[in-house]
Amino acid sequence: MELLTNLTINGLATGMLIFLLAAGLTLIFGLMDVLNFAHGGLFAWGAYSSVWFYALTDSFVLAILGAILTGVILGFITEKLIIKPVYGNHVQQILITLGFMLVLTEMLKVVFGPNQIAVRTPENLVGSWEIGDVIIIKYRVFIIIVGFLVFGIFQYILKKTKIGLIVRAGVLNKEMVQTLGINIKNVFLYVFIAGASLAAIGGALFAPYSGVIYAEMGMEYAILGFIVVVIGGMGSFPGSLLAAILVGLVGSYMAYYVPSLSLAVNMIIMAIVLIFRPQGLFRAKG
Amino acid sequence: MTSKYQWNNIFLSIMVIALFIFPFVTDSRTWTILLTQIFIFSILAMSYDILLGYTGIVSFGHAMFFGMGAYTTAVMLDRIEPTIGVFVLSIATGMLITGIISFIVGLLTLRLKSHFFAMLTLALSGLFLVLAEKWRSVTSGNDGFTFRAPEFFKDRMMFYLVVLVCMVVVYFVLRRFVQSPLGHVLVAVRENEQRTKSLGYNTLHYKVIASVVAGVVASLAGSLYAISLRFVNTSVLTMDITLDALLMTIIGGVGTLIGPIIGAGVIELSQHFLSGLAKDYPIFERWIIFFGILYILVVIFFPSGIVGTIRQAFHKRKKQSVGKEEQSNSEEL
Amino acid sequence: MNTLLKVDGVHTHIKQYHILQGISFEAIEGQVSVLLGRNGAGKTTTLKTILGLTPASQGRITFRDIDITKKPTHGIANTGIGYVPEDQGIFASLTVEENMKVAMRKEDEATLAKREYILDLFPDLKTFWKKDGGLLSGGQKQMLAMARAFVGNSKLLLIDEPSKGLAPIVIEKVMEAILDMKKHTTIVLVEQNFIMASRIGDTYTLIDNGETVQSGLMQELIHDEQVKRKYLGIG
Repeated sequence: MELLTNLTINGLATGMLIFLLAAGLTLIFGLMDVLNFAHGGLFAWGAYSSVWFYALTDSFVLAILGAILTGVILGFITEKLIIKPVYGNHVQQILITLGFMLVLTEMLKVVFGPNQIAVRTPENLVGSWEIGDVIIIKYRVFIIIVGFLVFGIFQYILKKTKIGLIVRAGVLNKEMVQTLGINIKNVFLYVFIAGASLAAIGGALFAPYSGVIYAEMGMEYAILGFIVVVIGGMGSFPGSLLAAILVGLVGSYMAYYVPSLSLAVNMIIMAIVLIFRPQGLFRAKG
Repeated sequence: MTSKYQWNNIFLSIMVIALFIFPFVTDSRTWTILLTQIFIFSILAMSYDILLGYTGIVSFGHAMFFGMGAYTTAVMLDRIEPTIGVFVLSIATGMLITGIISFIVGLLTLRLKSHFFAMLTLALSGLFLVLAEKWRSVTSGNDGFTFRAPEFFKDRMMFYLVVLVCMVVVYFVLRRFVQSPLGHVLVAVRENEQRTKSLGYNTLHYKVIASVVAGVVASLAGSLYAISLRFVNTSVLTMDITLDALLMTIIGGVGTLIGPIIGAGVIELSQHFLSGLAKDYPIFERWIIFFGILYILVVIFFPSGIVGTIRQAFHKRKKQSVGKEEQSNSEEL
Repeated sequence: MNTLLKVDGVHTHIKQYHILQGISFEAIEGQVSVLLGRNGAGKTTTLKTILGLTPASQGRITFRDIDITKKPTHGIANTGIGYVPEDQGIFASLTVEENMKVAMRKEDEATLAKREYILDLFPDLKTFWKKDGGLLSGGQKQMLAMARAFVGNSKLLLIDEPSKGLAPIVIEKVMEAILDMKKHTTIVLVEQNFIMASRIGDTYTLIDNGETVQSGLMQELIHDEQVKRKYLGIG
């Protein structure tokens, strides 16, 4: 019972981190038809910058805000310089975002050094609760809460605000949205920045969770993010949450029972989904 | 079309002759090894060009086939005996295995649109990597194993010449392939798959053929790579290998075959020199940054790579001298 | 008799194809102008070119004396042009209400009054107000598309084949609605159904092979059997 609870909480926490990464990916894909292979780089930059801000200010809230700031800036640069020139050309998109991923990863090493960096958990989140004989680590619960909170906020924006409405309409039919007088290019930019910030928040939360950060973490988690986007259905925001939780839980259970096969299992799930249900598990056809 | 290949032929002949003479005039071990490495990656990059340049598909799983070739050769030389016969047999076996696997993988994956295909190949090659790490009895996992190369290859120069011959043969075979009617259909698929379909071609079949050809050639590169190191571990299956092939193809020029060779040369040489520079200037330890930036600039500004850009410049000049009105090339890019 | 929209010698290329090769016509304020012609003559492309979806490579388009030839689509829409595409372009997983809302630039009294008016014209939309656009019938989708274009930009509506695929009874409804909307806006209509076109059109422009053949009053065309036979295959 204790084991199962812990594995579940662990899986949920990991799932939330992947969700933060995948949410941006899926929105960007759904709206802009761009698969951003540099997204993991934004995640890693979020982690590094939060650690840097934390060391500077000693405040985890400021550290997360710092990560968001990094996400906004990098998102802006990426959309303007990298994505914009290649809208509509899938092959070039894949190639260029991949190249940018290399740059982002290597830049981390230039700025912060090539070695991995140890990260401490913020003081008020250290420790655990004991409920009966079950020990629950505080920070993991924190991640889960933040994850759901972010989901709630974004879901609210998507469902209840005008900009959210435009984004949902844009996912369905870009051309029509333009003929209704909306500058879709601006919407693209906002969505891209929002997605980049989500990834950066994910990275910021990941840092104390894993205890170390390293430049390659971007690519590692991006792959999980891609898996989630595919399973959840490209462009589906709620789908990405469900799929992320699924991937997180599977990863967590497998890591305990059949260690190191966990990634393989997720890959297999993705391969099966792609072959038999390419629109994703949680997305209705059409 | 013909003049394009005439230039290639002249250039190639000079290059090949120079390269054949090279080991006889110098005994620089570093250069022999470096050039051998370039030839091997040229073969890999050319095979990637069949996919990216001629068929217009981005695969993230190419390392899978390279790795299979490397493991087949390494395991057979290690388990049977390190002779030329086994070496040749292992190349053939590697090609056969990759042929079959790339056929199955192609059938499963090539129905998907570009993004999904890229992800699925990423996943599959990830699976093969995990498989190789788990199947320790054969692969020794991440630690890898060393093996003895055939006696004949003890002389680095002999191996150099063999690899050079392989590269030249692969170039001509692939050139023949892309100039065949089948190759033309592939280009049509790249330009407009829907239209090619409506002309009555089963584009899936053609794409599968392309992926089998690319896979088999990549396996050959893998086999040679294993010999060159006399060692194999799971790194031959990693994404890095695919990325290398991709970079070389793009920088050299997609859809040109000769481009990937030049791309392989450029990347391997600059990698060699830039990491040499790192002793004095630490920034060059991160030489990959320069590649990343170069590569982004190439994709945006010179999407046809070194060879493609040179060719376009030639074409333009020719057109102008004939006095024809210059048509904008922008649509083709 | 104000000219609201003026299309003057417009050419359009799509990739290497030269689709429009000289289209000229005018839309007079408060009238219904109908674009007629065979399948593939270039009627839909003409509408798309006005909207900047397939920008003109030559010629000039002015709307309320503003040159809109080179403007981006959203800019053109914001000068006051609404579009009802052939496939209606309904956002399938958005409700009827949300579909309307995307088009409403502001929610001031004037806009809400417009919405009231158009919903009275199409009471079905009120009934299915909270239903997903994708679940509507063909006729209802057509009405929603027209209503949506109307609340956003009501100075000029470009409507592409509203009768396509609809039952005669529904066509009748749509037609009446267009005649009613004419009191509030100007309409450029692409229509294959000549009976419908002749009943609601004030003027016509005949397009063949991407070129304007002739324009004039609808009343005159109705009696011109020769032209009708030659270009429309009827009469």
